[in-house]
Amino acid sequence: MKHKLYRRTFTKLGLLSGGALVIPAIGPAPAAASAAVALTADERMLIEAFSEALLPTEGTSLKPRSDVPIVDNVGHALSLLDEPTLEQVRIGLKLFDYGAYVVGFHLTRFVNLSVERRLAYIHRWEDGIAMQRGIVDLLKKLTYVGYWQDIEAGRAIGYRGPVSVAGGIPNLGNAPMPKSESTR
Amino acid sequence: MSEHLPVLRVMEPGTIPARGLNLKADVVIIGSGASGAVMAYELCRAGAEVVVLEAGPYIRSTEFQEHAPTALETLYADHGNQVNTTGDLSVLQGKCIGGSTVVNAAVCFRAPDQVLEHWITEYGLENLAPEALAPYFERVERNLSIHQNAPHEVNYNGRLLIEGAKKIGIPAEATTRNVKNCALSGHCISACRTDRKQSMLVTYLPWASELGATILSGTQAETFEVRNRRINAVNAVAVDEDGAEKAVRVEAGLVVVAAGAIQTPLLFQKNALGNSSGQVGLNFACHPSLAVFGEHDQDIYAWVGATITAHAGDIENPLKGGYLLEAGMVGPVVTSTWVDGGAGSEYVEFMQRSKRFQAAVTLIHDHNVGRVFLDGDRKRIEYDIDDRDFEALREALRGTARIYFAAGAKRVYLPTTRRTTIESADAIDSAINALTNGKHKYRLTSYHPQGTMRMGADPSRSVVGPDGRCHDLDNVYVPDASLFPSSLLVNPQLTVYGMASYIADGIVARG
Repeated sequence: MKHKLYRRTFTKLGLLSGGALVIPAIGPAPAAASAAVALTADERMLIEAFSEALLPTEGTSLKPRSDVPIVDNVGHALSLLDEPTLEQVRIGLKLFDYGAYVVGFHLTRFVNLSVERRLAYIHRWEDGIAMQRGIVDLLKKLTYVGYWQDIEAGRAIGYRGPVSVAGGIPNLGNAPMPKSESTR
Repeated sequence: MSEHLPVLRVMEPGTIPARGLNLKADVVIIGSGASGAVMAYELCRAGAEVVVLEAGPYIRSTEFQEHAPTALETLYADHGNQVNTTGDLSVLQGKCIGGSTVVNAAVCFRAPDQVLEHWITEYGLENLAPEALAPYFERVERNLSIHQNAPHEVNYNGRLLIEGAKKIGIPAEATTRNVKNCALSGHCISACRTDRKQSMLVTYLPWASELGATILSGTQAETFEVRNRRINAVNAVAVDEDGAEKAVRVEAGLVVVAAGAIQTPLLFQKNALGNSSGQVGLNFACHPSLAVFGEHDQDIYAWVGATITAHAGDIENPLKGGYLLEAGMVGPVVTSTWVDGGAGSEYVEFMQRSKRFQAAVTLIHDHNVGRVFLDGDRKRIEYDIDDRDFEALREALRGTARIYFAAGAKRVYLPTTRRTTIESADAIDSAINALTNGKHKYRLTSYHPQGTMRMGADPSRSVVGPDGRCHDLDNVYVPDASLFPSSLLVNPQLTVYGMASYIADGIVARG
């Protein structure tokens, strides 16, 4: 019965827009998102644990991960999904977190693993069936976009971010009406 | 004395009275993107009273923030989250006044002759021969300042693509774009903040507005009033900022459905209309695209300058395995979603080195194997990579890797969902040959949905006739990319502009 439920959930998730989800997020201000979905405590823990494993910024030239509200940004990104998709995403997050009990036989949740074991678990899902690949790719994209949407994070790797206003580049306005038309 | 510039006047939902709106016009156009805008201007120019209904918002260029996540959220369909049913292909489309032309990379190619000739032999479209369409392409090219990038518009990333391609005998050159005095901000896909890109937002729409067109934003066409093979009125709903819904009804003698290759067939399906052929929503193609990075020893800053600067490939032979590679990159948000850089410290190092990446995206001539349909009230885009198209994708990846190593790259990153690198030119074939087709294996993006309202001479095999009119309806035209009987390989905007101009001229000529 348990096995059937697991398989059915995965089949349902086959329709989930996981792998290619391009997650939009908040505006340029590197502040916490304003209209975020209320993530559950488990979901917040998962995103936090996932980003800790994926983005070890300590001791590097990158903006410290802890200075970017990644979890809130992810919450905002999820708020842009329609309700059925959001529901499926939430199932996917739960499967990933609790899947650590059986995938790799860690006998505990993902959030309780050491950083090294989390990375190994992530790679196991990357090499898994299509559904696992889709869920882990979704989590990676959510986390990366939640971090890189911060303009200062981009500048730390040489990306300029917005340039036109700061550079004083004028707007040209609408194009003039065409002067002649030859084909009619 | 300064020249008078046309003004774009848009009726936003907040200005529509609570009791709704009843309009009468000669023509109602659904959609304000590449085809809707051209049709609006061309028909206004002929003296028609035109109403344009756009489902997306009106966002002025001064509000564009040059920030990809904000642009995706505000200017794209489904806030950038439109995907296939499998969930491994992102289908990006603009949803705003001006449609995808506001958020595309401004790349302009005419439809390859080989494709147009295929349309003649397979679909009876003799009227679309290259020489017949040429005057329409020329008109649009003139109107939109379409030109090949000048040397200063080709950044280091573009020069590397050309240099590498030429070393191994692959044709390459600077790309042609609809841009005037490009400021080289690198933010094309987040919309041009300074009106340099000659999108519909700053060209055909203000021109139509200047000639009297009524343009509504935030107004979604929903139902048609049909009688005797004619749509007599379109019923739409406008939603204001407070969420209040206002009914909009437009009575018109002519209806143009220009909502794009996803929304146009859905509107017909919703109204159970125009589908005696059974082809509405079928034949979806989308140029599934992959990005590839090549790491060099020196800094390249591929994201600095125009978004797309140069291209390589055998674009004259789409039906014989030709592919198109376009040099371009868009900041760390997009870098992260295009190619997997791994996890943990290897990912951090990947991003720290991203300024040294050469970058390009691949385009192929894919087969029309997908379909778009309504599942209850939810849209579905059913499309997985066909095995034949996967072979083309592999060849595009192989070609890109060869070009990168020829240009001096020391490592190539492939767009797999698990980090995959090629460490030398000698390892290209083994790495590429090891790639297999499958779900959630690649970071796929489509920028060019097309094909769901197939044009053709035979009403039993197509939805729309050679003149753009629906076979089943006497006063309904479709001018958008859903018409294409097969995919183009190249970016479709110029072909859409040209075909919309052609269809509009036909309508005017027939009175």
